[in-house]
Amino acid sequence: MNTEGNRYTVIYTTLVCVLVAAVLAVVSQALKPRQSANEKAETVRQVLVAAGLGEMEKWRMVDNQAVLEAFKEQIDGDPQVYTTSQLKAQNYNIKQGKPLSLPAYRFKNGVTVRAVYGSGLWGPVWGYIGLEQDNTTIAGAYFDHESETPGLGGKIKDDPSFRASFRGKAIGKDGKVEFDAISGATMTSRGLEAAIDTWMKAYIEN
Amino acid sequence: MGKLKETILNPLFKNNPITVLVLGICSSLAVTVELKGALVMALSVTIVTGLSSLILSLLRKTIPNRVRIIVQLVVVALLVILVDQVLRSFEATYAIDKQLSVYMGLIITNCIVMGRIEAFALGNRPLPAILDGLANGLGYGLILLIVAFFRELLGSGTLFGIPVLKALGYQGNGLMILPPMALIILGCIIWIQRSIDKELQE
Repeated sequence: MNTEGNRYTVIYTTLVCVLVAAVLAVVSQALKPRQSANEKAETVRQVLVAAGLGEMEKWRMVDNQAVLEAFKEQIDGDPQVYTTSQLKAQNYNIKQGKPLSLPAYRFKNGVTVRAVYGSGLWGPVWGYIGLEQDNTTIAGAYFDHESETPGLGGKIKDDPSFRASFRGKAIGKDGKVEFDAISGATMTSRGLEAAIDTWMKAYIEN
Repeated sequence: MGKLKETILNPLFKNNPITVLVLGICSSLAVTVELKGALVMALSVTIVTGLSSLILSLLRKTIPNRVRIIVQLVVVALLVILVDQVLRSFEATYAIDKQLSVYMGLIITNCIVMGRIEAFALGNRPLPAILDGLANGLGYGLILLIVAFFRELLGSGTLFGIPVLKALGYQGNGLMILPPMALIILGCIIWIQRSIDKELQE
């Protein structure tokens, strides 16, 4: 058979693409529930760290089930977990001037954890900031990102001293927090700063 | 049978993709801070090189020559996404997959994968092709693990996260954790290999 003709080439590449797309769609659908469960547990871990209830290393040691149980035990009220896609939708609403409709996580130790969401250099950055009972002093923080550069912007997640630097700082009346940017990651730092400013303001106005 | 044996053994030592062909250097610098990440990366690359070589060897007579690189890329990308998705679905590997972040997706651009397909799989039958792919993945993984062993042991004093030197009071060496140290260790491995096997000296 002539494998060099134009018609053969077009049909062949089309078939390969359709086949590959079908396989990916099926696999993605089949694995979705498991991945969402992992993502939910990851979010809960981050919220617990922000609430000052232990470091990430500790929560990595325990499995998803135990993490969710600890969360239910510590939270004051509804143990609802908001996914990052819900944060993304809220971020859009805030930018449109609409009020925030996500409650903060209220813990039994008096800490409330607020979410932040914004854009870094390559993709979204988000995080959780825990506030003491006075609603201004930061008890703990945890940040995450989708695709910031490892070793530069990725430090917002990977560098424990970065998130530790937030502890004890105060949030201004306008929702601003002063923190040291990461050298070599100007865009990520600015994006995170904007995310914190916007969301803290939205929480305060709420 | 001698030829098959060579196909398997050559990529591990005499024709190692990292130390002799000097391919796949970028990811070997990035993911060798800890043994755990290096092991997952090594296995993922081995699976991708093995399966992509097998699939493309099976298809080799049907692929139009003009678009063969595109077809190769589509197959490799499919396998990489599948590996990534599967790792993300299990509790045990979810955190490692997140930690490897972009490097997982960047397996697509690992020169070893495309290199073996172009150089071997497209001209050989499926059995030698899959063996060649797997062996090259293992050759890559072997070096990755050696580098990660030294970096984790001397950098943080642990092995697979278990304190070894750390238990003896070792404080950890920050220099080992930085990427340049991976390059230096890699250089040492190449040096040792070439002084053992004089044929490799240029």
